[in-house]
Amino acid sequence: MGKTLPTKYTTVSIPKTLHARLEKLISTKTGFKSVSDYVTFVLREVVTMHETSQSPDPFSSKDIEEIKARLKALGYL
Amino acid sequence: MRKVAVIGLDSVPPELLYDKLLDRLPNIRRMYEKGVHGKLRSCDPPITVPAWMVMMTGKDPGQLGIYGFRHRKGPSYGEGYIVNSTHVKERTVWEILSSHGKKSVVLGVPPGYPPKPVRDALIVSCFITPSADRPFTYPSQLKEEVLKAAGGKYIFDVTFRTENRDAIREELFDMTRRRFDVAEHLAKEHEWDFFIMHEIGFDRLHHAFWKFFDPQHPKYVRGNKYEKIDEEYYEMVDGRIGRLLEIFGEDCLTFILSDHGSKAMKGGFCINQWLEKEGYLAFKTDPTSVTDIDKAEVDWGRTKAWGWGGYYARVFFNVKGREAQGVLGPSALASEKKRLTERVLKIRDDAGKRMGNQVFEPEKLYKSTLGDKPDLMVYFGNLDWRSAGTVGHQGMYLSENDTGPDDSVHSMDGVMMMYDPRRSLKGAEVRGAEISQVAPLLLRAFGLDPAKEGIEVRPPDGMVERVA
Repeated sequence: MGKTLPTKYTTVSIPKTLHARLEKLISTKTGFKSVSDYVTFVLREVVTMHETSQSPDPFSSKDIEEIKARLKALGYL
Repeated sequence: MRKVAVIGLDSVPPELLYDKLLDRLPNIRRMYEKGVHGKLRSCDPPITVPAWMVMMTGKDPGQLGIYGFRHRKGPSYGEGYIVNSTHVKERTVWEILSSHGKKSVVLGVPPGYPPKPVRDALIVSCFITPSADRPFTYPSQLKEEVLKAAGGKYIFDVTFRTENRDAIREELFDMTRRRFDVAEHLAKEHEWDFFIMHEIGFDRLHHAFWKFFDPQHPKYVRGNKYEKIDEEYYEMVDGRIGRLLEIFGEDCLTFILSDHGSKAMKGGFCINQWLEKEGYLAFKTDPTSVTDIDKAEVDWGRTKAWGWGGYYARVFFNVKGREAQGVLGPSALASEKKRLTERVLKIRDDAGKRMGNQVFEPEKLYKSTLGDKPDLMVYFGNLDWRSAGTVGHQGMYLSENDTGPDDSVHSMDGVMMMYDPRRSLKGAEVRGAEISQVAPLLLRAFGLDPAKEGIEVRPPDGMVERVA
C-alpha cells in the first residue's frame, strides 16, 4: 500500500525559446507547476482529438449563418 | 533544385482562357506557346469544394466524403454543416511533400480554414474563413506578415450585393490584387520547394458578371458598362502572373490549373416543386411565398423524397429506420431510386424540349462513399440549369437564381497549363486529363512515386516525362 505505480517517462526536445515562453505562460496563466506537465496535458488533448476525430467545430453558429448566406448568394445552396 | 508552383484560378474555363482572351494575355500566352496546355476535367460534382481537394489528394469526392460545401448531418432533416479543413482526412500534396522534407507555401486552397499545421509549410486559409480576426495562418505569427504584405487588409472573398455591381467590381479587383501582393511576398521572402495559390476571384467574376460579357447569354445587352470586365480582370491577373514567373525563376515548373469551368446559366429548375407534383413530397401547409425547403412545413409522414439546391441537385429519400419519420421501406429504396431516375430523365425544359438530365448514384460513381452522401445526384441539362431548392414559386422554371444574382453555372472542363522556363514543350496539347491526376503528377515532378504515397490514380498520359 502507498506504493506509487511505476511511470515511464522519456524526453522530447523542444526549442529553448519555446520552453522559455511556456515557463512564462504557466507562471502567469495556466496553473500548471511545470512545463512538462503542461506539455503533457496539451499533447494528450491534441492526440485524443486526432484519435477520435472530434476536432471542435471551427465555425460558430453565427459564422455558419453568414457562410450559408454567402454561399446562397453565390448559388451554391 | 527543382521547384514547382501552382497558380490556381478557380472556375476558369478553356473557352474564355484559350479561345477568347489568350491574345490579350502575354504571360499566359507565353506559357501556352512554350509549355503544354489542355482541358482539365473536373470531378462529379464540379464544385470548388470538393474539387480542389480531389486535385490535391488524388482521391474522389466519395473517398473524401465531401460532396459540396454544405452537408446534411447524418439522417437529419434540417441539421447540416459547412465543410472545413478538418473534414479532409486524406493527405494533400504539401502534406506528403512535408514527409519528404520539402517546404511548401499554401495560399488560400479550399477548404483551408482552419489552417492545418504542416511541418515546413506556410499556410494561409481560404475564402471560407469567417474573418481576418481569426487565426487564419500556420504558423500563427505568419498572419501579421500576410496582413502587412496585403497592405493592411487581406480580403478572403467579395460580398455579393444584389444590385450593386460597381461595388462587387471594385472589391473583386482589390481582393485579387492584395492576394497577388501576398503571393509575391511569400514566394520572394521564404524558402520553398512547392508553392500553391488559389484565386477565388474568377469564380466571383463569372457568377456576378457573365451575362454582361458573354453575347451568348440570354440576358446579354450590347454596350453595357461591364462588357469588357472579363478582359480587364484576366489582363490584370495576367500581369500579376508575369511578375510571379519572374520571382519563381528559371528552375521552377509552373502550372496554371482550374477546378471546373463556367458557362451561361439558362435558369433554375425547382426540384422540390417537381417532386411535389410527382407525388414524392408533401406539405402540411402549402408555402405561399418563396421559402427554403429547410423552413417549409414538410409533411414528413407523406414525403418519400426531397432535394437540395445548388449547381447540382442532391436528392434524399425518407427511409424507415434511417430518417426519424421515414416512410419508405429500406427494401424499396433501390426500386424507388430507379423509378425516380427514369422520371428525372424525362423532364423537359420551359420550351418543351427534353432537358438532357443526368442522374448519379454515389455508390456507382465513386470508389467508396464516406461521409454524408446524398441518395442521388442530378445534373439538370448538362448543368445549364441550376437546382432551385426553394419552394413557393409560381412555376417550375426560374429565369434567375432563386437565392440571389447569378449569371453563370459550372461546366465540367477547367484548364491545365504547364510551363518549364528551361525547355520548350512547343505548345503541345494534353488530352483527357482529370483533376484527380494532378496530385500524382505534382509528386512525380518531385521524383516521388504516387503509389507509394497511397495514390492509385496515375498522372495524365504523356505528362510524366514532361515533368521529369
